[in-house]
Amino acid sequence: MTIYSLYIFDRHCTCVYYQDWHRTKRPKPAVEGGILPAVSHAITPQPLPADSNAGSTFTSPRNTLTSTSGVVIAVNEPISPGPGLYQTPPSHQQTQANPPPSTSGLAFDEEAKLVYGVILSLRNMIKRISGRDEQFTNYRTSTYKLHLYETLSGYKFVMLSDPNTDSLRFVLRQIYNGPFLDFVVRNPLVIMDSKERGIDNEYFRANTDRLVKGLSVFP
Amino acid sequence: MATTSKQYKAIGDDIWKSRTEKINAELFALTYGALVVQLIQDYEDYAEVNKQLEKMGYNIGTRLIEDFLARSALGRCADFREVGEVVAKVGFKSFLNITPTVTHSQPQPSGSRPPSQANPTGSSFILTLDENPLAEFVELPEEALEGGLWFSNVLCGVLRGALEMVQMQVQAEFLSDVLKGDESTQIQVRLLKYLEEEVPVGDD
Repeated sequence: MTIYSLYIFDRHCTCVYYQDWHRTKRPKPAVEGGILPAVSHAITPQPLPADSNAGSTFTSPRNTLTSTSGVVIAVNEPISPGPGLYQTPPSHQQTQANPPPSTSGLAFDEEAKLVYGVILSLRNMIKRISGRDEQFTNYRTSTYKLHLYETLSGYKFVMLSDPNTDSLRFVLRQIYNGPFLDFVVRNPLVIMDSKERGIDNEYFRANTDRLVKGLSVFP
Repeated sequence: MATTSKQYKAIGDDIWKSRTEKINAELFALTYGALVVQLIQDYEDYAEVNKQLEKMGYNIGTRLIEDFLARSALGRCADFREVGEVVAKVGFKSFLNITPTVTHSQPQPSGSRPPSQANPTGSSFILTLDENPLAEFVELPEEALEGGLWFSNVLCGVLRGALEMVQMQVQAEFLSDVLKGDESTQIQVRLLKYLEEEVPVGDD
């Protein structure tokens, strides 16, 4: 029994947070402009060709807080006649220069879109079939189970886990009631509903991590 | 309807008693008073102060709703009438420990139609505040009365912000205020429209 990953989508259908645990294949970093800054350091496009820390997991999450500083803004314009280094799109360059140990074939922005697409379609299908406001809570394949918790304010918490786990909706609710409320909603530095930034911050990540690792389903 | 509104009252009481962090009411009232005074000094125009208070409230409301949803664990309201009940009996109760009286302008026939059709735009309710923690110790000077200051206008913003986050665009405004010498303090909340859920932009 294990938990693979957590996605949070806001009401504008964009992924604002990502975290993974026992995931064998990390997604490829998103392409430039594919995702918002401050979603997850691990899958944010790297400004420079992958260096020594590409193999390890992400470094201090604090880095993501500064991602709107000059560094990122500079790489947002890869076409600009800058130093020769930036001529090719960074994502290409990175995978060729130093392929991370094991990533799935999909870039993160594509993956996030697919995850959102699948929950949206399934939910709408379920509503249309039943004709009532029926909740879609999870589905299971031979290799994983997807859990969904949707708040009335339009946030969607999605968690992927082992196919044999029980419903993890209560965990998603706990994340919403606990870390999300304390470190996102009540954090004046996190601009909610901005359409420009994710909600990643050090405390939220650490507390969510602690909460998930403390679960009995977590090995 | 009577039973459900009683249930909301119980929920509101419960949240207030067990799940709300309390602060000193006097400190709260005085802080808010100081904020309004500062705004008046900064903007020197009462209409602008009303606007700023509303804007502040809006920003508070957009976050407060998450807190509210997490603590109350309520489901979506079936119609705008129910919204009024929940706002008064659970919302106001759990955050301010007051329960305004709700007056619905259009008695809705209780049908099982989906919410979007059951509420023609223009439904509204009026919240009558018997007591107002924001206006404790407050007496408005002549100048503010003439200038048309709505001292507690932040509440209108909170209502607008919070309801917008749950897909309801509303217009909230004060109708009267005891501070202005009126008999009661009333806020009118009018439903403009239900917002559609956003769908992802097609990229291929």
